Formats: sequence, structure tokens, C-alpha cells
Amino acid sequence: MDVSQYLEIFIDESNEHLQNLNTQILNLESDPSSSDTVNEIFRAAHSLKGMAGTMGYKRMQNLTHDMENVFSEVRNGNIVVQPGMIDILFQCLDALEEYVSNIKESADEGTNDNQHLIDQLNAILNSKGQAAAAPAPASAKKEEASAAEDATTGKKWLDITLDGAQKDVMEEALRQGKKLYGLTITVQESCILKAARAFLVFKAVEEKSEIIVSNPPAQDIEDEKFERDFSLIVVSDVEVKDIIKAAENVSEIESVLGEAIDLSAMNFGKDVKVVKEAPVAAAAVVATETVAERPAPAAKAEKKQTPGKPVVNRTVRVDIEKLDSLMNLVSELIIAKNSLVSISSQDETSHTGAFNEQIEYLESVTTNLHESVMKVRMVPIESVVNKFPRMIRDLSKKLGKKMELYMSGEDTELDRTVVDEIGDPLMHLLRNSADHGLESAEVRQQRGKPEVGSIFLDAYQDGNNVVIEVRDDGNGIDVEKVKNKAIERGSITPEQAANMSDKEIIDLLFLPSFSTAKSVTDVSGRGVGLDVVKSKIEALSGEVEVRSKLGEGSTWIIRLPLTLAIIQALMVVVGGEKYAISLGSIQTIEDIHPSEIKTVQNKEVIHLRGTVIPLIRLNEVLDIESTKSPDESMEVVIVKKGDKQAGLVIDELIGQQEIVIKSLGKYIKQCKFISGATILGDGEVALILDANALI
Amino acid sequence: MDELKVVGSDGIQYIVVRLGDEQYGIDIKYIDNIIRMQGITRVPKVPEYLKGVINLRGEVIPVMSARLKMFLPADEITRATRIIILKLEQHGTVGIIVDEVKEVVTLDSDHIEKVSYDSNTENVNFITGIGKHNDELISLLDLNLLLQEKDNV
Repeated sequence: MDVSQYLEIFIDESNEHLQNLNTQILNLESDPSSSDTVNEIFRAAHSLKGMAGTMGYKRMQNLTHDMENVFSEVRNGNIVVQPGMIDILFQCLDALEEYVSNIKESADEGTNDNQHLIDQLNAILNSKGQAAAAPAPASAKKEEASAAEDATTGKKWLDITLDGAQKDVMEEALRQGKKLYGLTITVQESCILKAARAFLVFKAVEEKSEIIVSNPPAQDIEDEKFERDFSLIVVSDVEVKDIIKAAENVSEIESVLGEAIDLSAMNFGKDVKVVKEAPVAAAAVVATETVAERPAPAAKAEKKQTPGKPVVNRTVRVDIEKLDSLMNLVSELIIAKNSLVSISSQDETSHTGAFNEQIEYLESVTTNLHESVMKVRMVPIESVVNKFPRMIRDLSKKLGKKMELYMSGEDTELDRTVVDEIGDPLMHLLRNSADHGLESAEVRQQRGKPEVGSIFLDAYQDGNNVVIEVRDDGNGIDVEKVKNKAIERGSITPEQAANMSDKEIIDLLFLPSFSTAKSVTDVSGRGVGLDVVKSKIEALSGEVEVRSKLGEGSTWIIRLPLTLAIIQALMVVVGGEKYAISLGSIQTIEDIHPSEIKTVQNKEVIHLRGTVIPLIRLNEVLDIESTKSPDESMEVVIVKKGDKQAGLVIDELIGQQEIVIKSLGKYIKQCKFISGATILGDGEVALILDANALI
Repeated sequence: MDELKVVGSDGIQYIVVRLGDEQYGIDIKYIDNIIRMQGITRVPKVPEYLKGVINLRGEVIPVMSARLKMFLPADEITRATRIIILKLEQHGTVGIIVDEVKEVVTLDSDHIEKVSYDSNTENVNFITGIGKHNDELISLLDLNLLLQEKDNV
């Protein structure tokens, strides 16, 4: 059977399970005795094993199998969690991640057996032999015993407990002269698609009979939640051997047991224990025990899941392409709306109130549609930041520094495309903080700081932006050192350096190939970090900023737009051309008389409510003649970026409009301050000014 | 009616356009659309030959002047002026302004002469060959070269 169609789902789910395992093993490290955590780990490992097996990835299956064995012993209390074991487990997760990424690239798991990891896992397993020799054989014996019992009877349909309704159906069938059969089907051990085989058996049996009940339930069988066998009770007109034959025709089925059953031999819940012959009854009792055992952990799991959020994100996976086409539809709708608006403003005499009403309606529809589509695209940044605690733990070991990562706002939502891209820059910044930021334990002690360094990762929404801050309580940036380094590298001259503010010097860190690390380490310091961070974030139309205080630590602030496709914008006219400015960056709009303009260092500024704001004449930036005469009063749009402000001088205001951002296309190398274009109601194209780039 | 036997084994279809007094051929496989001249939104800080962007059914598409790119006099917009929308792997979708679109011709390799590079005229750079069709000469445009950005322009 071809499993390639499941590959995507397999990869997605494997990643989810791996992430879950990572988180839970971290929890286990901090709290080795938590049985909930162990159970959760066991479940995730088990699912992973099952999935890998189904897809035919034997190496992955073997590794997870051995991990599962270890977890199983931990769960049974036979092994005590030790730090060394956690390290091995993490290595196993890395190996599994490698398998998954190999599969992602080539649909093949690769050839690495990771035998050393398996050996280490087995070593852990064997070591428990001495530690807890007593309970192990006992449980093994018990298993053996029940296995033997099963083998002799094999008629597992007798285990099925029936409820009243099912009993009624059976009695009714019997009255109609139909016969009641019990079937137990065992699939071959080598079968990789148990659920598919079971489904075929179901189908074959259903052709000949009606299935009353199955054990485990049909849903579980479909989800492959059964070992190797399952049992059915069916009513039928035909002979039992016909049904057995039909079921046996399905390949990879080891055996099918079946015979007519007597209603009185069945279990009806707990209350009615029908009298039956002794050996059968014994088998049934053993059986009910085993059945009863199974729901127990499940019930426990449910209990555990109710408080807090579900362990695994319940997600609907939507093809990004479909979303994009939906998005385009919305764009068109908005364009249509805009054109209606422009018609209505053109001939004021002819249109009626109803026309306006329709526009308002259309507007509310488009706004809602926009919002709901946006929400589909939004995902919490959790999926990205969840891997960081593990990374910091590893870094802590590698660098020999003690550090702790505190995260907040993991549920902050961002556009899917942004979330996918933001992982690397954040990782760079965190590594940077861990390596360069935090001092060694001795230095920290001398400075009177706690020995364990803290790194904070905070995410929150701020207006139309999402802000992600990476903060550490380490050394901060040594401005003098950066300055010397820059001069040494020839990035700036000593004269320039003397005139630069601290902030400007810190910004030098974002230049390509600039690293102040004294030694190049594995973690950071190759000088490819910060400029990559900056360019990546700018590619997402975001920005990054540093605040630092020597000796107290530094904060890296990343600002990202909430959404990328549709924004509220202010439409302005400069030299007869229309431009859009994102509303998010606009503070106020002022009417300024030319006499209020002062010059500071040859630059035009205005003094507005106590702050000095530099003026930018847009017509000069855009190489166009202003249509206003110099002595007229000017419209000035005050924009801000972080704590910087600027006044953009425009000719005319049009108003606020919702605009759809379109790219200028591959061919035009975008100039820095044009972030895209939009199509206006009359079909004309207007460019979008990036106020941030102008400041 | 020879040319109607089209798509022979090595026949390539070209759209013949006029730029100034000369005729140029554009390989039809790169042409997405031909539209009438329309309002172009200027984009600041780009080379002179890039006239700006237009709206083509909801997509924003850059438009360049073939004349300016080929060092010919600036475009004179007339009723016959058209924008040819090209789709190239390397450059995405780009529109070029031409003075007139004349016809579609099929040229096989017998009717195409490779250009000799010893010519001094600059725009030979943009041509892959010269096609002969009914006693007329058609310069076949090398679109990749035409669209390539040059720092000195």
C-alpha cells in the first residue's frame, strides 16, 4: 500500500510529538517524580513509534521503541530518572528530529541507525535489573500467565461486555431466525497497516453480516489503538465459516476464530453475570480484568487533561495556498467596495440613500471577512518559542554557565508566514544573550548578581504590532569595545566614532560580519548573527532595536506587523501623485506655517508641544515638484518609529482608507521607503510609503 | 501561405512590434498579454527606463520603456501604443511599452540570421538574431538581456 499520501500528516504529527516530548522531558528533568509527565511522555513516544512503524520507517521505529521501553520502566517505577538519562533522551530526540527532517527532504529516513543511542538506552534498561529486581519478574510472570490464558481460549469475543441496547438487538435478531457469531481476528505481527487491514476485515464481514459490537470500538481500531487482535459480535443469516473465510481472504491476517455464541454466555455489564460453565467463566474473568485495566489509564489521562489546555493543539491544517486564494478574494471584494465608494463620491446628485446603505453593508461584510480570514492565518508563536527552553538548557551545559529562560506571552498570535520566519532570528538573539550577554558565574558573583543568569523572552501585542523582547541580566553591550572594534575593522573612522551617540554605535553591531566576541565559539561569534537577524526581520516588515546598559544587561526589541496583507492607511497627495502611509505609524496630523520651521544643523525642524521634530519634505524624497507655494501653510504628518519622530510634509490629505498591499513585483528593486503598492477604487495604482524607512 | 503551416519542427512564432522606425520580434512564448496604454504610476528612485507600475486585473505590474532601455528617443504615446506583458522566469511579470503591435510571424531557423557582434551600435546587445520575412527585416529581441538591469544605466 502506498503511504506517501500520509507523509505530510506524518511529518506534521511527528513534529508535534517531538515538540511535546522535548517539553515533557524538560519537565521531567525539573520534576523527576511527576507521573503525569511520564505518562504523557510514554504516550507521545508510543504514538511516534506507531506512526513510524506504519510509514515503514524502521530505524525511527526501533529507536522510539527502545525509548518507549525506558519510559515504560520509568512509569512502572523500576527506573529512577537521572540527569545522565535525560541527556541520552535528548540525544535520542535530536536523532529522531534528524530522521524526520530527512524524511521531509527525501521521504527517506536516512541510514543512520543511531546504534550507540540504542545501546545506551538498553544499558539504562539493564541497569534497572539490579535496582529493582524484585517487582519486575512478578509483573512479567503475571503477563505470561494472562498470555497463556489468552492463547488457550483465543476466543476473545467472550471478553466483550454488552450493554442493554446491544442485547436487545441480538435478541431481536435471534427471534428473526438469524444467528449470532463471535469472531476474533488476529493480524500478522509484521503487518504495518493494522488499521487498514482491520477496515478490510470489517468490510468483508459486513458483506455477510451485521456487526453489533466490536472490541476495541470501531473508532479505536480505525485509529490503530489495538494490539494485534480485535473481536466482533455479528448477526447473520449465513454460516459462520463463510464469514471466517471472507475475513481470512484479507491479506496479512494471521487467524480468524469464530463460532456461534450463546447470548447467555456473554457479559452484560457488571450486574448480570450469567451462569456459565466453569472454564469459560474463568477465562471471562481474566479477560474482563485485562479489559478493565485498559480503560484505567485512559480515564486517568482524561482527568489530567481537563485542567489547563489540551496537551496537543487541536489544529485544522489548511493549505496556505487555499488561504492565499481566499485572501485574494477578499482583496478583490475590498477593491470592489472602494470603487463603489469612489462612484458615490463622484456624482452626488444621482445616488440615493439605499445606495449608501448598500455600501455600508458591503463594508461591514468585507471587514468581517477580512477579520475572520486573518484569524485563520494567525497562529500563536508558541509553536516557535517552545523549542527554546530546550535550547537554553543545552547551551547552559555547553557554555558551562547557569542560566534560566523565562517566557511570557507564548499565546500571542502572529501571521503564519511571520511565525514561520521568526524562529531563526529569535534563536540568534537568545544564543547571543547566552553567549555574549551573560557573564560567567564568577564574574556574576563578583558583581553581586545571582549566580544563575536570567534570559527573558516576552511577547505582547502593541497596537497594530506584535513586540517580542529578548532580555538578559548580563553584561550589556560595552560601547567602547564596539567602537574600538569598528575602528579597527575600518567600519568607521576615529573622527566619526567621536561624533557618534552610544545608540548609533550599538547599531553598528547589525553591520554584516561584525562580531565582538573575543573567541569564536560554537554558539555564536562568527559574525553572521545580527545582520542576518536584522535583514530577516526587515524582510517581514518588522524592525529590531537594542537597548543596553553596561553591567546590567541588554534588551533586544523586535517589532512585527500583525498582518501583512491589508492595512488601514492614510491617503495623501504629493506633487499630484497619490501615496498611502500606514496608519499604524502615524501619530498626528498638523497644520504648520512655514514661519514655524527652524533649522538645526542645516536640517529643518519644527517645535511641537515641547519636542523638536525633524521635517522631511516628501516631494524632495520622491523627486517631484510640490504643487504648493512655499509660503502657504503646510500639512505635516507626524510619524513615529519607536521613540523617534519625524514630520512628513505633504501637499494634500485625502483621507483614511483600508488598502490591500501588493508587491511591486520582482522586477523593480524596491527602493527602501516604498513598501509596496495598492490599487485604488478607480483602478489607479498608489505606492505605499514606509514611514519607518524615512525616519 | 507558407507561414500558415506554423509550428514546424523549428519554427518559432514571433509577435512583430514597432519601435521608432524599426521592427522587432518578441518570442510569443514569453508573452502573457497585450494591453492598451494606460495610466502608469511613477515609482521614485528607479532607473529612467522604468516608467512605473500599472494595475492589470488587480495585480501590480512594473512597466518599462523599451525605447529608453535601448537608447532610442523617448516614447511618443499614440493610439497605437501598447503595453506587452511578458512573463519570464527570471524577472517575473514585466510590461514593456511598444509603439505598435503589427502581426504574428513564424520564422524557422533558415530565416533567422545570427547577429554579428562587430557592429558598433549599442542596441545590438539586445538582439539574438535578425529574421527575414517577406523582404522585411525583423530584429529578434533577447528579452533576458533587455530586462537585465545594468548598473551604468
